[in-house]
Amino acid sequence: MNRGVIHVDESPIPLEQCRRYLPNWLKRFLPIRGGRAEDHHGKGMFGFTVFLLSESIVFLSFIFTYIALRLTHSRTWLPPGVSGPELSTFVIINTVVLLSSSFVIQPAENFLKRGRLVKFRWLWLMTICMGTYFLIGQGIEWSHLDFRLSTGLVGSTFYVLTGFHGLHVLTGVILQIIMLIRSLIPGNYNKGHFGASATTLFWHFVDIVWVFLFSLLYLWQA
Amino acid sequence: MVRFLEYLLIAGYIAVLLVVSHWIGQFAYSWMPPEATAEAQKIDSLFSFLVSIGIFIILGLVGMMVYSVIFFRASKNDYSEGHPSRGDLKLEFLWTATPTLLVLWLAFQGFNIYQQLNILGLGQIVHLHMPLESEPAYAVSTDNQPKAAAETIYVYVKQWDWSFRYPNNVTSHELHLPVNRRTRLNLHAKDVLHSFYVPAFRLQQYIVPGRDIDLVVTPIRIGKYTLKDALFSGTYFALMDTDVYVESLGQYNQWLTKAEEEPTPIKNQAVVEYSQPPKTFFKSNWYTIAPTQPLIANERKVMNDT
Amino acid sequence: MTHDSRDNITGDRAAEDSQNESENNWRRYFSFSTDHKVIGVQYMVMTFIFFLVGGLLAMLMRAELITPASDVVDRPLYNGLFTLHGTIMIFLWIIPFNAGISNYLVPLMLGARDMAFPLLNAISFWILPPSGILLLSSFLLPNGTAQSGWWSYPPISLQIPPGQPINGEFIWIVSVILIGISSIMGAVNFVTTIFWMRAPGMTFFRMPVFVWSVLSAQLLQLVNLPSLTGALILLLFDLSFGTQFFKPLENGDPIIYQHLFWFYSHPAVYIMALPAFGIFAEVLPAFSHNPLFGYRSLAIASLGIAVVSIFVWVHHMFTSATPNWMRILFMVTSMLVAVPTGVKAFGWTATIWKSKLHLETPMLFAMGGAAMFLLGGVTGVMLAAVPFDIHVHNTYFIVGHFHYIVFNTITMAIFAAIYFWFPKITGRMYAEGWGKVHFWLTFIGANLTFFPMLPLGLQGMVRRVSSYDPRYQGWNVIASVGGFLLGVSILPFIANMVGSWLSGPRATNNPWRATGLEWTTTSPPPRDNFEEIPIVKRPPYDYGDPKYSVIEPPDYHQLEH
Repeated sequence: MNRGVIHVDESPIPLEQCRRYLPNWLKRFLPIRGGRAEDHHGKGMFGFTVFLLSESIVFLSFIFTYIALRLTHSRTWLPPGVSGPELSTFVIINTVVLLSSSFVIQPAENFLKRGRLVKFRWLWLMTICMGTYFLIGQGIEWSHLDFRLSTGLVGSTFYVLTGFHGLHVLTGVILQIIMLIRSLIPGNYNKGHFGASATTLFWHFVDIVWVFLFSLLYLWQA
Repeated sequence: MVRFLEYLLIAGYIAVLLVVSHWIGQFAYSWMPPEATAEAQKIDSLFSFLVSIGIFIILGLVGMMVYSVIFFRASKNDYSEGHPSRGDLKLEFLWTATPTLLVLWLAFQGFNIYQQLNILGLGQIVHLHMPLESEPAYAVSTDNQPKAAAETIYVYVKQWDWSFRYPNNVTSHELHLPVNRRTRLNLHAKDVLHSFYVPAFRLQQYIVPGRDIDLVVTPIRIGKYTLKDALFSGTYFALMDTDVYVESLGQYNQWLTKAEEEPTPIKNQAVVEYSQPPKTFFKSNWYTIAPTQPLIANERKVMNDT
Repeated sequence: MTHDSRDNITGDRAAEDSQNESENNWRRYFSFSTDHKVIGVQYMVMTFIFFLVGGLLAMLMRAELITPASDVVDRPLYNGLFTLHGTIMIFLWIIPFNAGISNYLVPLMLGARDMAFPLLNAISFWILPPSGILLLSSFLLPNGTAQSGWWSYPPISLQIPPGQPINGEFIWIVSVILIGISSIMGAVNFVTTIFWMRAPGMTFFRMPVFVWSVLSAQLLQLVNLPSLTGALILLLFDLSFGTQFFKPLENGDPIIYQHLFWFYSHPAVYIMALPAFGIFAEVLPAFSHNPLFGYRSLAIASLGIAVVSIFVWVHHMFTSATPNWMRILFMVTSMLVAVPTGVKAFGWTATIWKSKLHLETPMLFAMGGAAMFLLGGVTGVMLAAVPFDIHVHNTYFIVGHFHYIVFNTITMAIFAAIYFWFPKITGRMYAEGWGKVHFWLTFIGANLTFFPMLPLGLQGMVRRVSSYDPRYQGWNVIASVGGFLLGVSILPFIANMVGSWLSGPRATNNPWRATGLEWTTTSPPPRDNFEEIPIVKRPPYDYGDPKYSVIEPPDYHQLEH
């Protein structure tokens, strides 16, 4: 490199040196001195992470609306005769299943990274089942609630929040199914396993969002 | 020597700019509508100040650009470089720090004037008026309280007209205000968002249906002004201009008594236009909500518009 | 060296190559291509067509406003006109045009062969034509288009014709959501490209300011656009599925919509303006043959503008039943955003000071735009002052202010960019004389149209009205005349572009003797952009004495590089 030559207008902060102090996983996201176009996996994960951060802001906007409405309308929140979302055992089990599925999909991806395809596929299939279980459970819960989408603010916010989240769970499950089918094609991983890594990250995202929604919708009682 | 002359020229240029911007700033008062409230006077002086600063910056930089265009043109085939300077840290620091101080000063001036408006009563108090709520959601802090108003006029706005209910329960479509007295306006909207805007008062406030919004105003100049709806509120919202009469207390009371006996004629332009649409070059015939006409302009019944 | 002698390679071989290419060229632009250069041109041409549509709507509005009475269009149609005019100009002209020109230039300026995700890039583009056509098709509905302004505030936007689930507002919401999805995909692509696809040696502080501007604008898209998406989804539910988020008479809160809407829509104006500032930063040094003055300040100011602009949105809601502390806080932040913006304006002025100016068309548009930006920006600082804003909110003063930014600054910058990079993109030179005609007509028209709006607003003329008090007529007539002049001014531009692209003289690699990696490759560039990926050793805007842009130790030439 051109150590002997200094260009005027170089960075006022020594970015390259600062980067050395970052943890490894963050360092991989931030190429400084010229890009690393040949690292397709890194490039893809950077883009996908950026996308997920952006997507979380849509959820944030729904959550902001929910909190603002709930704080300013606390007395009229539940229409007469409506008890709102219930923190039942059913719901708790559903939540536990969804959240623990994150701890199933991660080892699955790790197996894939080490080339253990059979173990990967079993754990991946288990994740699909757990995700599907959550979706069915959510549907059952919805059908037993004593309020509809148009039942006041509680209905509007509850169904939009859980519905939007459920849409993401469904998308995650579909992505997992696609990845599972593709894993059966010989030579599928010759160019890396970006798809599986992205799907795993997406699943973690879905689970983290659920932690927030669960707390806001079920734990926060009037 | 040359450097000294350069600095002298720059100083001279700045001095000329200061004089010109101050001079134009004085004109700014005439660009505004008549000042019908004390608040209007303060806002106009803020505006004049902002205009002066703005003109200074615009003329200063545009002047430099014009000078460059005149004196630094290169001939058609001359592709040699100008001067190699890539920057000057001191100058860049100066032109970052100075505008920062300037805008913070402007914000401070704006804040000062805003505080004075509050004390005079222009600040609005917003109460959330929910049927089952008993406390306002926004805490009404003590420094939000305007000084007590002499009386309250209830303002009701809907698509597409204004009506006012006066202390003696007279209802009218015209707003009459006594001069030099504090009057509280209690604003209510029936259907969609509207905005209460009187340019001569320099006063504007959105009215949210379901909320109870108070404004206190002290007009200081007798005259006839216009109240407009400044927030798009549907098909005929351009026809919502209504008259504001600021008059002496005697005349105001006279009008109130007269209005009790003889109702003022209804001038709901939206209804007129809806029933007889004017001829236009293009007609879309798209749907519009039908404007409703109140039955009698001045009624003594209580309007239940919350 | 950036001033290279490869200009002379426009000998026979290059001419033959581009001739072969031009045979396939026009077909490529109608196909699904993943080449960022094709996609860039597709964006730019498509958005220009929407610009003409939006302009036509504006002509109709100005025709209505020549007379105080409502006599050209009926009121619902007028409301539809201004709604679609705003929506088209923002979401189908400026923002996607910026995406297009950024698409074309960023990989070239970085020394890359394409964007990070070429397929995603193509999909981002192809979402737009159907979304735009969907939006325009709402004119054909029995009860017309959306009619509540480009803000679509509830509850007025929820007043739909009874019994019509597919109505103008519904279509408006769906098409804007689709356009938003396209923008997010694009933003992911740009940010990844700028981080990962730079040529060896291209550090962040060797990137042109245009790339810094694109990075800042696209980061803003990522952080703020999802808020608009959320607001529109909730609005759609209120409109069509019986929810009550924003219905004030049913316990909802329309002010929440305003917060979600403006949290995006204020940064949106910087998303539109930052690439325009970046364009000024490219064109001004090229035609003054001076390095950009204060390159690092301008680069950092781009990020600074983006960051501060996230925190100013409530200045669109000063009259909206916002509490006092909120008004004061956002007055301060809104004033502060003027600082990095001012730094840029000072940098541009210093760049042309003591320079060797050439006043070709791109430079005329850039300087005209920068000068008019001063008025737009100063009126913006005035609006940040709460007491003054309360008087002029929703009047023509605001309309004048923002048109000075979106037309007199940003659209001027867009024209500057089109003329500047036309030789690079098409391989041909445009007709300079007609370019100057276009400039003068536009410059005069722009000032005639939008300056009168400032006094009109001060005098209390409210916006979005199709009829007004006769005392406002004088200024309105001037504005309408200016508007028609603008309509006429676009004609020489179209003729110039079409004629020159078809049969203009061939352009060299670097007709402007400018710096920047895009000028080192052929005009137009080959499919893979560069024969060999360059290794970057010099700073940007490398005009002037090399000694001032590079510091070498005395014994440097004895070392191996």
